[in-house]
Amino acid sequence: MKIRSFVMVILCIMLIPAKTYAGDPTDTVTTHVDRVMNVLKGNASEESKKADIRKIAGIMFDFTAMSKATLGKNWTKLDTDQQQEFIRLLRAMLENAYISKILDYSDEKAVYIKERALSDTRVEVQSKLVTKSADIPMDYRMVKTEEQWKVYDVIIEGVSLIKNYRTQFREILSTQTPEELLQVMRKKVGKI
Amino acid sequence: MSTITHHPITLFLIIFINLLLGITGCAHTGKSTSPPGKEDLTFQNQEKTEQSSPEKQENETAAEKMSDDKLFLLDDEEETVPTTIKDPLHGWNRAMFTFNDRFYFLVAQPLTKGYAKIVHADVRAVINNFFLNISMPIRFVNSLLQLKFKSAGTELLRFGINSTLGVVGFLDVAKIDYGLESSDEDFGQTLGKYQLGHGAYFMLPFLGPSSIRDSVGLLGDLFLYPIGYIKPQELSLGIYTYESMNGFSFNLNDYDILKGAAVDPYTAVRDAYYQNRKAKVDE
Repeated sequence: MKIRSFVMVILCIMLIPAKTYAGDPTDTVTTHVDRVMNVLKGNASEESKKADIRKIAGIMFDFTAMSKATLGKNWTKLDTDQQQEFIRLLRAMLENAYISKILDYSDEKAVYIKERALSDTRVEVQSKLVTKSADIPMDYRMVKTEEQWKVYDVIIEGVSLIKNYRTQFREILSTQTPEELLQVMRKKVGKI
Repeated sequence: MSTITHHPITLFLIIFINLLLGITGCAHTGKSTSPPGKEDLTFQNQEKTEQSSPEKQENETAAEKMSDDKLFLLDDEEETVPTTIKDPLHGWNRAMFTFNDRFYFLVAQPLTKGYAKIVHADVRAVINNFFLNISMPIRFVNSLLQLKFKSAGTELLRFGINSTLGVVGFLDVAKIDYGLESSDEDFGQTLGKYQLGHGAYFMLPFLGPSSIRDSVGLLGDLFLYPIGYIKPQELSLGIYTYESMNGFSFNLNDYDILKGAAVDPYTAVRDAYYQNRKAKVDE
C-alpha cells in the first residue's frame, strides 16, 4: 500500500509540471519550424501551403509585441485605432514578403544551438539553417505571454528584423506623421 | 567564398572589383575613387561629431529607457551607442542604390537564375567549396591580425585537409568529417576590431552596401586573394565574376525579401549592412 501511494505521489508530481509548463522556448520554435518545413515538403497547392504557413505564423509570432518594438517610443504617437491598424499592416507586410519566397526552400535543415535568457520573460533561441552553400545563423527572440512562448524578433546573420524596421520607422516618423506612415504601409500591402 | 560574397546583401559583387583591380594594378587609374578618398582622413571624427545628421542617435533619458525596456528595446545593449551608420554621402549612395537595384533586377538576378537552372545545386556547392578554399589567406591573415590564433590554425588545417583529401578544395571534408568550421574574417572586420569606425556609409557600384572602412578593407583583402594575381586581368575579373555569381546563386531571394518587407528599402539595406557588419566585428 505504502509503495503504491508513494508511486502515486511521484506520478502526480511528475504530471504537474507537464501540465502547467508551457514548454520551453526551444521546443516551441522547433515545433513551429518543423511544421513549416513539413508544409513546404508537402504536395499541397501553393495557395494552401501559403494559408497553412500563415496559420502557423499566427501562433508562432507575437505581432503586437513586434509592432511595439519596431516603433519604440513612437508607439505612443499612434492612437488606439492607428496602433491596431499598424499591427495588421506590419503582419501583412511580413507575410507578403516572406511566405511566397520561402516556398522555394525545402532542403534546408535547422539546427538548434542554445538558449540564452535575456530577462525573466524573454529568451533567445539560437539556431542555424544548414544550406548547401553555408550555415546561416538564425536566432529567435521570444517572450512569454499567457503561458506561451512567442517570437517577437528574428535575427538572421546578425540582422535583427525589429531593429531594421525600427531604423526605418524612426527616420520616416522624424519627418512624417503616423497617418502618413500608415499610408505608405497600406500602399505596400496593396490596399488603398 | 570569402566574406565578400557571403554578405547577404552584397549580392552583385560583379564588375566593380575590376575597378579595384585596376587601382591596385596600375597607378594611373588611382584617381577613380575620389568620392570616398576625401572622407578617408576624417574617419573617426565623423563617427563622433555627426550627431546632428538626419539619423539622430539615441540620447535617451533614464525614463525613456525604462519605457523602452517594456517594449523590448533594450535587449542586450545600451541604446546610447549609435544604432545606425552615418550617411553624409547619401546623395551618392542613393544614386548608387538605384543603379544597383536596377542592375540587380535587370542583369544579375536573371543571369544567375538561368545559371542556377542549368547547373545543379550540388555542383554549384562543390564549386563554392573550391573558391572558399582558395580564399583561405584572407581569413588566415585577418584571424592572425585579430589575434584569433585558434581560427587561424583552423584555417590552415582546413586548407591542408581540403586541398588534399578534399580533392583540391572541391569537397569540404574538413567541415563534414572533422567538424572544422571556416571563420568569416576580413580586413574591414580587423579594422573594426581595432576600434576604427565605419567613417561613412558608402554604396559601391555593383558590389552593394559598404563603408569607407570596409572599402579600404576590401582593397586590403585583394592582396590576399589568389585570383587577384591571375594574369591577364580580364581573366582574373572573369573568374571573380563567376565566383560571385556562383555564390549568389544560393541567395537568389535574399534581396527580394529584404526589399519586399521594407517600408523604405534604402534605409533597410543600409541598416541591414550596418547590423551584419557589427555582428561580425563583435564576434
